[in-house]
Amino acid sequence: MTDQEEFFAWLDGELDDAAAARVAARVATDPELAEEARVHRALGAQLRSAFDPLMDAPVPHRIGQSPTDHTAVRERRAARRIAMPQWAAIAATLVVGVVGGTMLGSNPSGPVAGHGGTIVAAGALDRALDTQLASAPVADGVRIGLTFRDSTGAVCRSFDDGALSGLACRDGDEWRFRGLFQKSVEGGGDYRMAAGPDPRLGAMIDETVAGEPLDAEGERAAKANGWR
Amino acid sequence: MASKSEFERLLSDHWPRLRRFAFALSRNAADADDLMQGTVERAMRSIDQWQAGSRFDSWLFRIARNHWIDTTRSRSRAAKRFVAAEEGESVGFDPRPGTEAGIDLKRAMAALERLPDEQREVVALILIDGFGYREAAELLGQPIGTISSRLVRGRKALLGLLGENGMQDD
Repeated sequence: MTDQEEFFAWLDGELDDAAAARVAARVATDPELAEEARVHRALGAQLRSAFDPLMDAPVPHRIGQSPTDHTAVRERRAARRIAMPQWAAIAATLVVGVVGGTMLGSNPSGPVAGHGGTIVAAGALDRALDTQLASAPVADGVRIGLTFRDSTGAVCRSFDDGALSGLACRDGDEWRFRGLFQKSVEGGGDYRMAAGPDPRLGAMIDETVAGEPLDAEGERAAKANGWR
Repeated sequence: MASKSEFERLLSDHWPRLRRFAFALSRNAADADDLMQGTVERAMRSIDQWQAGSRFDSWLFRIARNHWIDTTRSRSRAAKRFVAAEEGESVGFDPRPGTEAGIDLKRAMAALERLPDEQREVVALILIDGFGYREAAELLGQPIGTISSRLVRGRKALLGLLGENGMQDD
């Protein structure tokens, strides 16, 4: 090791005690060397601080899933990460019996959004509830079950998207959830598919329905009338 | 070997440092992102080769460094000639004392870009990330003496590029 290498190794704390003491003594008696130590310490510190902002940037969610479009995926995951804690709260059990109160922030891509103190259908689920007839083939992974009116005359529809099943009733221009059930969840957020909707959904429908469920024609008519 | 979720957790834990390392090696943010992506993909493919209990950071950084050699480095070397011609000797250092309290990321990356690759990787590992000489030597597959002398040369070159006047005590 040259003197210079030893000097820098000392600066980096790489020397054993005896060697470190030797260099420290040399630096203490040599103003030029002391200045060099100061300048290089400052260089190291400033270099590190230049890179510090990178250390504060958020870590993308589920980075182990190999992205192809890194930036887009990262943005998507950042959005999902924001939404996840609310989802996690919902997923903790069989979710919600009767839904009320404020539970969710909005997640632009998810099936659930918070709005005005209630939670309403969003994204593909909202579209399916708006447009899909029960007799139609499954679109966007959402299967519509029954369509009926409740005791106040509001149109309600049950649904099952594989991960969630539930009941939503029309409220203005939105589908407000009456019940929302999540299939059992395994680690990593992968859904384990259970067969069919949650059995409690059937009980909820029985409690909510007034009269008979709409048939295909009644469903079409209700849709044409904006679900009113 | 680690399970997928364990791997994701480790990757998550080391993500900020990996990003810093990628930026230290890369010419710009886009190249650093490419390097990150390539590193993660390679790491996922070779997850079986990581031994639980061994240092994950060394393993991950070695993958990043090898990926950099295989791809980005040749590209940035080609680009460097143009950058050097455009910018001449200036890396944007303002020689007036007291005008600049520190170095921003852009200037730091521009200065690192001017270092020979073998100095740059040593500076990135030891000076910026804080790896020990021995760990860096093992990661790079070089004798520790080689690492030590490259680090000296890299530091001196950086000081020349960034300017001693910039190194105020603050």
